[in-house]
Amino acid sequence: MEFIVLLKQVPDLAEELEIDADGTDLARDWLSYVTSEWDEYALEEALQLRDQAGGSVTCLALDTGSVDELLATCLARGADRVVKVGSFERQPASHVAAAAFAAALRDMPHHLVLTGVQAIDDLDGQVGPLVATLLDLPHVSVVTHIAVGPDGRTATVHQEYAGGVVAELEVDLPATLGVQTSRETPRYAPVSRVRQLMKTMEVGSVEVSADGGAGLVIEAMSVPEVSATAEMIAGSPDAIAERIAAILAERGIGKAAVR
Amino acid sequence: MLDQTVSREVFEGLSATGELLFYLASAVATLVFLVGTGLKFRKYAHGRREDRIGDRAGFLRGLLRGSAEVAANSTVRKRDTYAGVAHAAIMWGFIVLFIGTAILTIDTDIIPFVAPDAHFFWGAFYIGYSVVLDVLGLAMLMGIGAMAWRRLRFHKPQLDYRRVDISPATTDRRGFVAGDWIFLGWLALLGVSGFMLEAFRIVAHDFPWFEVWSPVGWVLGSLMATVGLSAATAETARMTLWWSHAAIALAFVAWIPFSKAVHMLADPVNLGLRSPLAGRRLPVLPSIATADGHIGLRDTFDLTWKQLVDADACTKCGRCHAACPAVASGAPLSPRDLVLDLRQQVDAEWAILAPLHERRSDREYGLAAPGGNGHAGGNGHAGGNGTDGGSGPGVGAQAPGGGLLAGGLISAATLWSCTTCLACVEACPVGIEHVPTIVGMRRSLVDQGLVEPGLQAAFTSLAKQGNSFGQSGRTRGRWTEGLPTPIVDARRQDVDWLWFVGDFASFDARVQEATRLVARVFQAADVDFGILYEGERNAGNDIRRAGEEGLFELLAEHNIGQLSKARFRRIVTTDPHTLNTLRFEYPQLGGSYEVWHYSQLLAALFDYGHLATRRRVDRRVTYHDPCYLARYAEVTRAPREVLVAIGARLVEMPRNGANTFCCGAGGGRVWMDDSGLAERPSEQRIREAVALGGIVDFVTACPKDLTMYTAAAKATGNGDSLVVADLIELVAAAIDLEPITAEGGDGPTGAAGLAAAAHGEMAALTATTGRGDA
Repeated sequence: MEFIVLLKQVPDLAEELEIDADGTDLARDWLSYVTSEWDEYALEEALQLRDQAGGSVTCLALDTGSVDELLATCLARGADRVVKVGSFERQPASHVAAAAFAAALRDMPHHLVLTGVQAIDDLDGQVGPLVATLLDLPHVSVVTHIAVGPDGRTATVHQEYAGGVVAELEVDLPATLGVQTSRETPRYAPVSRVRQLMKTMEVGSVEVSADGGAGLVIEAMSVPEVSATAEMIAGSPDAIAERIAAILAERGIGKAAVR
Repeated sequence: MLDQTVSREVFEGLSATGELLFYLASAVATLVFLVGTGLKFRKYAHGRREDRIGDRAGFLRGLLRGSAEVAANSTVRKRDTYAGVAHAAIMWGFIVLFIGTAILTIDTDIIPFVAPDAHFFWGAFYIGYSVVLDVLGLAMLMGIGAMAWRRLRFHKPQLDYRRVDISPATTDRRGFVAGDWIFLGWLALLGVSGFMLEAFRIVAHDFPWFEVWSPVGWVLGSLMATVGLSAATAETARMTLWWSHAAIALAFVAWIPFSKAVHMLADPVNLGLRSPLAGRRLPVLPSIATADGHIGLRDTFDLTWKQLVDADACTKCGRCHAACPAVASGAPLSPRDLVLDLRQQVDAEWAILAPLHERRSDREYGLAAPGGNGHAGGNGHAGGNGTDGGSGPGVGAQAPGGGLLAGGLISAATLWSCTTCLACVEACPVGIEHVPTIVGMRRSLVDQGLVEPGLQAAFTSLAKQGNSFGQSGRTRGRWTEGLPTPIVDARRQDVDWLWFVGDFASFDARVQEATRLVARVFQAADVDFGILYEGERNAGNDIRRAGEEGLFELLAEHNIGQLSKARFRRIVTTDPHTLNTLRFEYPQLGGSYEVWHYSQLLAALFDYGHLATRRRVDRRVTYHDPCYLARYAEVTRAPREVLVAIGARLVEMPRNGANTFCCGAGGGRVWMDDSGLAERPSEQRIREAVALGGIVDFVTACPKDLTMYTAAAKATGNGDSLVVADLIELVAAAIDLEPITAEGGDGPTGAAGLAAAAHGEMAALTATTGRGDA
């Protein structure tokens, strides 16, 4: 069973985000990057499935010049192979990314392709469906539970709908899945192992042409305007606490606590 | 008068066959003893290598110190004078009686063959010999009596063998109790039978005048004679008793290696080999990786020979158990039981498991345990189809050992419970080094991917941002905003003192108040200091102790790189954890610094008159010694001197100085879930302070303490009556530091820009304020 995981990096939200001079993108000079949370769930699921059903896990990331640590972390967590795809200045839009991944996957055995259902930096959620379309595979999004059938020809997946209803779907393999969560917290990758792997790992690479466009252009990016109905409380922690207490008291909430 | 008749015949009344029989029995007993100790040595020889010699002078000093401790019983007497005196009486009684027997052997078995004229067991020597042996034999018996009384009557918590990590129903430790009593009883029997033998001899010989120098035998004999014991009956009884005494003594010799009596051999060695840096400087990872690339103390193969000796050295005295904050708070860890579990596992693997061991219904010692808990595929590395975290199957078959320790015999929950407060190591009278062993197993847990969730979040943030608060590393210096006088950026300008601020002092809202006061007090005292701003990252002390060695290296390498860009003479820090790793561990990675705790600098500043008390803090205060300050760095006087200098009335808690009680935050615990505890150590400590009565301030000198005890005071309902304060807050009040009037109300971005702009220009100004030569 060949499991493929598609991963990317997103800005670390611990950093304070700023908009660049053009007003169409984040100021990337100061940003640091982390692996997209949903992609980590996808990897954890792939590793769990591999351990149950056997086979191997291959992690793919577009080569934006800074994915070595991401790939080493995948290996440290237990992935069997890592591959850099194409060569990009920076993370491209979903259509381009999907085309590159699909091109790479054409020459790569794959039974189950997992990726995060979306990422915080574009909320597009399109890479999975687009890869599926390009490879003519079935696709399920927002998957919360994955089990591979005993014959390895199908997988059973769950989708959770509003109101606490869960649907169980059967999908023929090969297929692509957009993963919403993993059964366990993504496992920890010890830093010593990651560092060791950064020096010793073998990274496969696949050349792909980087054409195709998203058909979308970001015209402007801005920090949401402070609404008139919201009061931003600034100052020292004590001053903030005092103000919150005053507001609560004003509205008669939690009188006992305010005193 | 003192002629050759002043003596006794050693094998008196024994036939040649009897003598032969005795020698045969002695040979058998010695053989059993040698086989027993040989088995132990074979076990040690299979332990991992560990350099315990280091530099020769240090090694010799250690041996001398250990020998002095053994001779004086100082480690046994510490905080338990009763046990210390009783133990010294037993130990020296036993040693002298043993030497007495050895002297007899020399005079009886060696002298006649090599130099018959040199026979010396008579006259004045005999009289001196008799007195000394009688007095010390009596001392030994009194010591045994005192110890038996202690066991029966004192109800010491350390002698409570109940386990804290598993249900009492699954374990049976009655063997331990039996073993303790057999040991004491056997020694008592040895002493009593010896004295009886002496008394019978004196009666049988009709009280020769010189035997009054065997006072115990003389008095006993007199009593026997008074109740009508005849010389003839005494002689018959003597022969029977002689054989009994011999049997008891020889059996004792044979029994030593298989019982707690082995501590007579193992403990002097262990004390002599004890490292003064145990726990303070953790071992770096071996340069040669293991065959399968695993890291840390995973299975019994990974134990070093010293760790194996440690385990054998344990007498179950339970001092670590009684001192441990994990035990006290209901966590599933007892350092005593951890050591005993390791010993029993290894001994079972080597098939030298003595009788009277612990019996458990949930596991069999010696068998490789079924692999751990948690992730089925946790043991992932490149190309490996991670199976389970257990030991390789092939290894166990070749030699004894290989039982899974980290996450197996010792559960992950047990290992994560340790606060690395070092109370166990400090309390242990025989030099066992629990903390490095626990951290060794934590390294394996991290390596297996079995990481406590809170810890995993902290590690992730630390790896990315260099702090555990999930904040951008670039905002590390933001606490300086709003200070009337900006702080020098030590990367741009030479300073006397490089202040390594630390995570909690930089990011925790409550601690930041204290941090700003430290800056202002330093400024008021004209201390020439600077900080690294966003160049600093967590120093890594607690990350290392949580077992994440790679992350520690990453942080330490970064900090050493930043420090190398700064020019300074000494480092000062408010954080004792940071102090420890900078002082003891950074040198291993290429960064050697002189590191001071701010309490030491403050004491010096008062001493040299750079700080002066204007308004005495005339209140009843108590001071909590931070573990990493009092035990690791052994700094207990400086903060007290500061309290005296500001006029505070210091009232000590029962546990103070090196005997302090942990707040529960150390060793990475601060990041982990503590909701499962029966009562947090910090809350117990607050109660200890409140019990003193009338305490106004609970003073600490550690950023983590400030947050822990502020929360604990509230949780115990003492938030209004007891003020948890950092030392600096009292100092600031005493020197009449003016409160900052401006409240920095222009929002974070504005202030950040201002402060950043100020670094460059204002730094030059601060530099001219002169160098404090404290």
